[in-house]
Amino acid sequence: MKKTIILSSIIALLCACNPDTWNLDVTGMFSGSSAGIDQRVEDSFDYNNKNGFPHIYATAESYSVYVCTDTHVDRTRDNWEKFIQAYRADAGCPLALHLGDLVNAQNHWDYMRRPVDSIPANPTKKDTLLVVAGNHDLYFNQWKEYVRLWKTSTYYAIVETPAGKQDLYIFVDTGEGILGKKQTEWLRTTLNWANTQAFRHIVVCTHTHLFKLDSSQGITSNMPLEETYALLHLLKQHKVEMFWCGHDHSREVTNLGSMTAIIIDALFDREPQPAYLIATMADAPIDYRFVKP
Amino acid sequence: MLNMKKFTTLFLLMAALLPVAAQVQYGTEQYAVRAYAGYAHNTTYGSYGVFDFGGFMPINQHFEMQADLRLSTAGNHAFGVQLRPKFTVPVGEMFIEARLLSNLYKRDGYNDFTQLIGVGYRMDHVTAIVGMSTRIIMETPYDWHSTQSMIVEPFNICYKIEAFICKQTSPWNISLCATNITDYQIERVWQPMFMATGLYNIDNHWQVNLAVLCKPTGMFHLNAKYYGSEVRAGFNYNF
Repeated sequence: MKKTIILSSIIALLCACNPDTWNLDVTGMFSGSSAGIDQRVEDSFDYNNKNGFPHIYATAESYSVYVCTDTHVDRTRDNWEKFIQAYRADAGCPLALHLGDLVNAQNHWDYMRRPVDSIPANPTKKDTLLVVAGNHDLYFNQWKEYVRLWKTSTYYAIVETPAGKQDLYIFVDTGEGILGKKQTEWLRTTLNWANTQAFRHIVVCTHTHLFKLDSSQGITSNMPLEETYALLHLLKQHKVEMFWCGHDHSREVTNLGSMTAIIIDALFDREPQPAYLIATMADAPIDYRFVKP
Repeated sequence: MLNMKKFTTLFLLMAALLPVAAQVQYGTEQYAVRAYAGYAHNTTYGSYGVFDFGGFMPINQHFEMQADLRLSTAGNHAFGVQLRPKFTVPVGEMFIEARLLSNLYKRDGYNDFTQLIGVGYRMDHVTAIVGMSTRIIMETPYDWHSTQSMIVEPFNICYKIEAFICKQTSPWNISLCATNITDYQIERVWQPMFMATGLYNIDNHWQVNLAVLCKPTGMFHLNAKYYGSEVRAGFNYNF
């Protein structure tokens, strides 16, 4: 008994000495500290109602979208900076996306945001960076920080080509593993509307993955099964072409009939094989490749 | 060829004809049937009703079987069979937990088929199971001409730990349980459910049961919130 207590104390002490342990809001396992999904959706709607949805103009019929996720910025942000430099340098990229887990934990929000404002823009083009919240952006009550810097996590954006062809990107907040009632209704309404328009591509972007078919890199928390099937049904019913997400940190491409679900690698500096995705949006089906930073 | 609709009908019919499943009662060697009704809610479906039927069959001293059927007004039905070879050890009982579970998510056009194999241990006040499962997910109606109508989640860890106030053989009991496996669902490892169960033996044959289940979401996103809950009550009849 005495040995067990001593051993437990040593393990607890070692855990406490590990700075990464401090970055986990363990109380969040029992009661999340950020606003719940319905309140977050309300906050996002408030911003959307006042500011509208992004409408972005591409300079060619074919353009690139740079997509990264899980930068988990804390003490370093090297890969994040490389990603920003890369999409800004690409004259054919009007849109870059970050699919959540922008920071690893609290106190790094301004440090994470700074390169977006300080890395010089490309004078030959305009580009837009859009983000969605991940679970690491919520715990320790960080939703307030997210809203301060990134404003909204449930919205859509349209990219329009010179010929007037439009691609739709829908962003949904799955930071706690569910869409919630309000967001699901909004997604259904948005997809119903999208199906009445002539969008060239419809892409849904979020943080949490639907399935994990390759367990070789471990398995990570995702949505309850009921939510998984309901969301998948909604997406496929409305002819969504791609579902881009992160959270798992290891790449996986799953063909689900008419829809392809892609888990994109993490861009975390401490990740052994970080990568981001570059999608080519043209008249043909979406083409994509993974790039190391 | 047997199409998916006929297959499902046949499957459910077979389930209904099987004698129905009861909670395993440690030490019980009686055949039992059960029928429960309940109210459930989750943020995906809203409110819905559940109707559970089951049968417990102690084939012999070393082997027991259980069959479970759930019908739900949300259009999410389940049918499962549990096979449980068991061995008495100096303290308590070890068993192999083998389950086949089919869930029909009719409202969403999906059907999943999950196989679980695990080891369990039960003694007077505790039952514990740890195992692994594989899930096959199919669209319904199934497109036999496409490989993309079916996907497989090959590996999932399953667990159940249930603690009882009284000995499992006593005429009344209350238990608390943390698990990702119920008789009607095998969730992913990171999606635990918490359950409180009470039972009372009215006489040698009839037992009344009440169970409350809570299913949070985002526990391992470290941003846990309410996802769903369930209250069900019903009777077991021991032959």
